[in-house]
Amino acid sequence: MKKILSTLLALMMVLSLASVATAEGVTIKYWFWADNDAYAATMQEMIADFNATNGQGITVVGEQIPWDGGGYSNTVFTAAMGGGGPDVASWKLTATPSFVANDLLAPLDDYLAAWSDSSQIETSLWDVMRTAGGGDKVYVMPWNTQVLYVYYRPSLFAAAGVSVPTTYQEFLDACAALTKDGVYGFGMRGAKGGQEPWGSFIHARGGSFADLTTPEAVQGMQDFIDLFQKGYTPPTAPSDGFSQIIDNFKSGLTAMTIHHIGSSAGMVETFGDDVGAFVFPAGVGQWTSMGDTENVMFASCANKDAAFAWLSYLATGKGQETWCKVTGNVPVAASVKALDEFQQNPFMKVSIQGAPYAGILPILDTTTEWISTVWPSTVQQALLGEITAQECMDTLQAELYK
Amino acid sequence: MPNSLCRAKRSVSRFLIVGLPLLLILIFLLFPYYWTLITSLKPNRELYSTQVVYWPAEPTLAAYGQLFGQFNFLKPMGNSFVVAMITTALSLTVSMLAAYSFSRFRFRGRKLLMVLFLTNNMFPTVLLLIPLFTIMRQMNLLYTPASLVLSYTTFTIPFSVWLLNGYLNDLPMSLEEAAMVDGANRAQAFTRIILPVLVPCLLATGVYIFMQSWNEYTFAVLFTNDRNRTVPVALKSLIGQFGVQWELLTAGGIITVIPVCVMFFFAQKRLVAGLTSGAVKG
Amino acid sequence: MEFIRKRGRRTNLWPYLLVLPALTVVVCVVFVPILNAVSMSLQNYDLRRPKLISFIGLENYIKLFADRQFIASLYRTALWVVFGVGFQFVFGFALALLLNQEFRGRALARSVSLIPWVTPGVLIALMWRWLLDGNYGVINDLLQKTGITDGNIAFLAARATALPSVILTIVWQGIPFFALMLLAGLQGIAHELYEAADIDGAKSLQKLRFITIPSLKNTIFVTTMLRVIWVANSVDVIFNMTEGGPAYATQTLSVYIYLKANTLNMGYASAMALIMTVLLLGVSIPYLRSMFRDQGV
Repeated sequence: MKKILSTLLALMMVLSLASVATAEGVTIKYWFWADNDAYAATMQEMIADFNATNGQGITVVGEQIPWDGGGYSNTVFTAAMGGGGPDVASWKLTATPSFVANDLLAPLDDYLAAWSDSSQIETSLWDVMRTAGGGDKVYVMPWNTQVLYVYYRPSLFAAAGVSVPTTYQEFLDACAALTKDGVYGFGMRGAKGGQEPWGSFIHARGGSFADLTTPEAVQGMQDFIDLFQKGYTPPTAPSDGFSQIIDNFKSGLTAMTIHHIGSSAGMVETFGDDVGAFVFPAGVGQWTSMGDTENVMFASCANKDAAFAWLSYLATGKGQETWCKVTGNVPVAASVKALDEFQQNPFMKVSIQGAPYAGILPILDTTTEWISTVWPSTVQQALLGEITAQECMDTLQAELYK
Repeated sequence: MPNSLCRAKRSVSRFLIVGLPLLLILIFLLFPYYWTLITSLKPNRELYSTQVVYWPAEPTLAAYGQLFGQFNFLKPMGNSFVVAMITTALSLTVSMLAAYSFSRFRFRGRKLLMVLFLTNNMFPTVLLLIPLFTIMRQMNLLYTPASLVLSYTTFTIPFSVWLLNGYLNDLPMSLEEAAMVDGANRAQAFTRIILPVLVPCLLATGVYIFMQSWNEYTFAVLFTNDRNRTVPVALKSLIGQFGVQWELLTAGGIITVIPVCVMFFFAQKRLVAGLTSGAVKG
Repeated sequence: MEFIRKRGRRTNLWPYLLVLPALTVVVCVVFVPILNAVSMSLQNYDLRRPKLISFIGLENYIKLFADRQFIASLYRTALWVVFGVGFQFVFGFALALLLNQEFRGRALARSVSLIPWVTPGVLIALMWRWLLDGNYGVINDLLQKTGITDGNIAFLAARATALPSVILTIVWQGIPFFALMLLAGLQGIAHELYEAADIDGAKSLQKLRFITIPSLKNTIFVTTMLRVIWVANSVDVIFNMTEGGPAYATQTLSVYIYLKANTLNMGYASAMALIMTVLLLGVSIPYLRSMFRDQGV
């Protein structure tokens, strides 16, 4: 026992020494999350490709951090605040304000000014990045986006005699008409993350995120409540998160649900041809949520030029193409978007159709808390009939613009 | 005849008193594990269904192949095992000494120290993460198993001290007194008399420490990197932003449990009365 | 000879030396972070607005008592701990007594009963979520097959059933802890006590009440107290099953602290954490006093 113990201790010391020793050339530590182990393997292949081809002696070391229901951003924050953490990390826009407020991120403006590929990415997207960083500087490098749309089951539509809705009212009617024989019309997300599909209802009535208390926005909230209370969604909707809405749809429990291209491969695997997609239809207004994934460089990074080389490989280089092909996400680089593979995919087509209406929540320093706790608990109260649509929207407004 | 009837009656009543309750509790404890097992055996197309299925139509071991192949699950298991074993050995030794001191000595500051140990675990760890990370970085322990051992012992030692102190207080003091009257010194009384009697309690406390370190996620994700990831981190990486790899996750859960149960299967022999009549009479 | 040395006779260094290693680890590693948390609780320490951080005295604490969610979460924590630990103890103790009997397959029964404890926390929450699912969960299926209910219950989506559901899960997870700890304690009880009772013709229940429980007194108290602390602090199960929802129905104090800390309002979270520590200490005091009194310190 003693012998084993001392061997182990010795082993630990060797390992700790190894981690201190610096490698030759420049090393960039990159943290990322992956949705499954195949994507994680793809990322490691991309890293190997970059290391072999960059020609500047840059070695990227990729480390996978679990997504952990969004806990990823907290893990990165703790490490960065504690003086450790990576040089570059994959990113969610909502995390930007708190990192910028603590001076943890490196501004990219100087690098972008000298970068020939920056025009590959749409100006509107750069504006979103700039706004998230507080308005003056760009801290976030776009990587890929996902546009939310409605998944539906053609066979259930045919059985109920419903055609693909082209207006918001038709969509609401379809939710009712499809609810029968143990199938629910709409798979609603009432737990964390539900604000994304919910935003479409608010905008369809003519409301907006600028003021959630307008009669139009409240009406959209009322529609959302009605769908649940009239039984057009599964009774579990208040506690259904991402995993549940997808499982419910795949099990055939729901006829429609809202998500993006990221889940299309699984849908096709389950249903073959019996799954389709359409853009959330227009009412008075039209809006759909844009999911986003970016990369950032940390202020503590010692080799910022090397880090930028890796950022650009992911944004417009080979990394852009490989990653978007494997994960099915919408590319941000014009040259990659133009590739046949992306033009032919039916779900990509719907994503691109929806892109003009796609937007994001205001990125404020209150946004993370609003998304992770305020929205779910307040909307759940409304769904369960404990507060009215008006009271719900008053709280949501007050907490977002606190 | 009446004799065998009597025996039958006794075995029926024993079944009602021992067998049946045990069976019911075990069913409650094991049913979720059974459910995990059948999920891990389901082929992909059977994973989603509105029907509740108690056994998959076409069970497959594909998930296990993938788990040990591409996913390389043995590596995090090895890492977890090393960390848990070292943490257990370290915490148990250190806690045993402290618990003995608290139980068998009366000294100034004893109460204060005991309460300090207790308070240590009352404080939510989520608020300690940033300073702890800084400490680990300054000690140059980040991304080594040593950082996990250190942070786990911090939280297992106070609990173990209290547990062992509780056990020691339940042991009659007369045992050691008798030995010391017979001329043994304190250390001898401890190793010859107390330690053998305490084996079941040390084992139980050891299991407690082992489990704490085996199942810990928050420190593990912060203080390790790809080289020394532990089981909870590996399993959590299967729950992505856009999907859960149910079959791998459940297979991982099933596998994680097995070595610990096998180890305990052999270790539990020690969970027998150490206090023989001989010892009492001294 | 007096075995236990009373203080004052002569300063004995031994007890201090024996405690020292344990103390060093604990103090070195957690002492600074906890002091740091105390200081954060006296500031508006919101890392989302780091430039505004300043000393605000007891303002966080004052705000807490006006926070409806804080008061409600205290009440839920009480239910969570009382029922969670209570049922864990009852079933755990029963299991310990049963596993202490001689029967064939005992070794196997002992080791499989640890399974809930060995199962990684992340999986526990997901599995129970699946078992309790309101659309096609197996528990709903069984309840309907046995005729107890006649429709699906959305356990985790309704206010009335959400908290009992997460309590059920923590009970399941905690039974092996008590079973093992008490089983170990049972081994320290001298056979003679039971043999003497047999001669007096005592019934099983009498033996339990007059021999087993008194002999395990310290072990029972200590394990219960430690478990109360552990369960009060646990976030895993609730967070991964319901995230404190629906509509706060399962938001205990520790979940509330976790959410506040994760959204970077460290000052407010620290104030709550300190209140929780004080409350837990308060709950432990009756036991601590009786223990210290028994030992005649």
